[in-house]
Amino acid sequence: MKRNHRIVVGVMAALLTLALALTGCGTGGGGGTSGGTTTFNIGFGGPLTQGDVSFGQGGERATKLAIENANKSQEAKDAGIQFKVISGDDQSLADVGTTVANQFVSDKNMVGVVGHFNSTVSIAASKVYNQSNFVQISYGSTNPDLTKQGFKNVFRTCATDDLQGPTGADRANKLGFKNVAIVNDSSPYGQGLVKAFKDEFLKNGGKVVFEDATQQKQNDFTALVTKIAAAKPDLVYFGGTYAPDTGAGALFAKQLKSGGVTVPMMGGDGLYAPEFITGAGADAAEGNFATCPGMPVELLPNGKQFAADYVAMFPGQQPAPFDAYAYDAANAIINATYKVAKDLGVNKVTSPAGRDALLAAVAATDFDGVTGKVSFDNKGDNNNRVITLYKVVNGKWEAQPEQ
Amino acid sequence: MNYFLAQLVNGITLGGMYALIALGYTMVYGVLLMINFAHSEMFMSGAYIGLGTLLLLSNAGTQNAICKVLPFLSFLKSLRGFFTSSTAGLIILLVIVLAVAAVLTGGLGMLTERFAYRPLRHAPRLAPLISALGVSIFLQNAVLLWIASNKPFPHLISVKDISGGMHLGITPVRIMIVATSVLLLIALDLFIARTRVGKAMRATSQDQDASGLMGINVNSVIALTFFIGPALGGIAGVFSGIYYGTVTYNMGFMPGIKSFTAAVIGGIGNLRGAMLGGFLLGFIEAMAQAYGSLIGVPAAYKDVATFVILIVILVFRPGGLLGSSVVEKV
Repeated sequence: MKRNHRIVVGVMAALLTLALALTGCGTGGGGGTSGGTTTFNIGFGGPLTQGDVSFGQGGERATKLAIENANKSQEAKDAGIQFKVISGDDQSLADVGTTVANQFVSDKNMVGVVGHFNSTVSIAASKVYNQSNFVQISYGSTNPDLTKQGFKNVFRTCATDDLQGPTGADRANKLGFKNVAIVNDSSPYGQGLVKAFKDEFLKNGGKVVFEDATQQKQNDFTALVTKIAAAKPDLVYFGGTYAPDTGAGALFAKQLKSGGVTVPMMGGDGLYAPEFITGAGADAAEGNFATCPGMPVELLPNGKQFAADYVAMFPGQQPAPFDAYAYDAANAIINATYKVAKDLGVNKVTSPAGRDALLAAVAATDFDGVTGKVSFDNKGDNNNRVITLYKVVNGKWEAQPEQ
Repeated sequence: MNYFLAQLVNGITLGGMYALIALGYTMVYGVLLMINFAHSEMFMSGAYIGLGTLLLLSNAGTQNAICKVLPFLSFLKSLRGFFTSSTAGLIILLVIVLAVAAVLTGGLGMLTERFAYRPLRHAPRLAPLISALGVSIFLQNAVLLWIASNKPFPHLISVKDISGGMHLGITPVRIMIVATSVLLLIALDLFIARTRVGKAMRATSQDQDASGLMGINVNSVIALTFFIGPALGGIAGVFSGIYYGTVTYNMGFMPGIKSFTAAVIGGIGNLRGAMLGGFLLGFIEAMAQAYGSLIGVPAAYKDVATFVILIVILVFRPGGLLGSSVVEKV
């Protein structure tokens, strides 16, 4: 019996260690000053192990690249500043994201946060950042509500769903779709997106023949698909994300096809990931549409250099549009840090007065980023708003420029 | 009418899967009076093991990668053509995949019992429950860390509708899921009712101490229970992979909860009850989604309908549909 107990205790201890390791308790000691150089941390918050990991990991890579480039720059050397990325895995979950945010705001060397990706998470975490007067720049949360909370510390580099939905509707209209079935994944992102889409689609004279919602993490859509088939739409609009542990858009697309709904599906940026195609299978994904803020990286003015740096630093990875937004978000924080360090002195950057100055500097951001000109309006949204429509052609996402 | 029948087919398929998983919950409860919350992870493990076996036998890329490390496995390459070219080969491949998934998941179930539950057998009832939750978290995170958070599962069986112009969605994969579930239930029912080992199982579930005194090896009976339950869950996992075309490390969560509900509706501890509960739940879910909007319930709330029905059933039959109300042993 004694031995058995020891085994149980051992197993429990192992489980506990694992759990702690997974929840990311190691924040990593901040830098601080050494040898005349001050190290500031920049937080990155996004889904890294579960949830919409494609977008989270891409954003993390882009943030690391921005910091790598900044650390090599003359400007950083002159200012005596180095940067370091501290990653927080929010798993696409609001509660986990709030925990990450609390860890970030307790970091005395952190100048700001790039993140989060999912709108649900960004909105939940923004309250924590706001209380600590902490700069938060989301690179992928497209729900309009994020910047409507009246928080002075919240910004985003990507465009919003009140633009993305109507663009999808206009393009659908031009492509000749008249009867749409609308489905959202019960997330704030999905609900906001379909509402914006629907209003514009109706205004253009289209008809909504079916409307319903799925649940997060749902894996069986067969009953819903049978219902959609009976409504005979010529387009299915899905407001949701691709990943099986969030909106499950890839599974939905697959079951639509096997359930006899052969018309194309259209969605927002939540579907625009290579994993949508692998998850749905090339056959079921073929011919589906997604809108996504920003332009394909290769069409961006500064995009070629960004893409080249990205591939050089992360061999085998291709930059996605949101990665470019994360890169610009990180640079907005980096530029603001330089400015505050110059105006107030390096040692004052993370003081209360420094935090106010950081917010003011980010709000006054104005530079040519890889996604174009980056500057924020009075709500904190990027003034440069571009939406591109993509289509799966031969098993790959392909940009569909407007004729 | 076709719409109703198509939704019925959806419900029956889902029900078949729930029933297979529910059997695992109910068997363990019947013998140990314990709810094995790690069962949904047995389902998930089965899906991953099935996928691994499938790729090993039929995917050129996987075979090349594995043969670099383990050269003696290169004979698998010569089998690939047979498995992928003909219908007979495909059926044999499917049987092998299911068998490997069942045996390995069953083995995993036995391991879990040996290390996580047996040391706690005489502990208060809550202790093994917590241990089960621990196993569940452990297995999920082990898969997440060491394997992959999600993988596409190749189409093994046709998803082509064979009902012709009626569009009922009757596909070979669905027929296989339902037929296998029913066959396994019948086999299991016969096994428990007709064989000596089955008798020993029933005796153990009535009174462990007394059956030990009668010469039954209680440990091996319990181990066997923990083999059969997870093996069935593993088979359901492979079906889920084939049917939905994807496996994820937390895929067991929803089906696990639903199947547990099915087991409770049917009367937990009762095998036929689990089967009935599974099919009933699948049926209710499909119908709630199909017709819920007629009474003002959007499809997004189909699970609410499901659980309302669970509560209603438990109010009128606390022991479940086929369960007998348990008298507290004094």
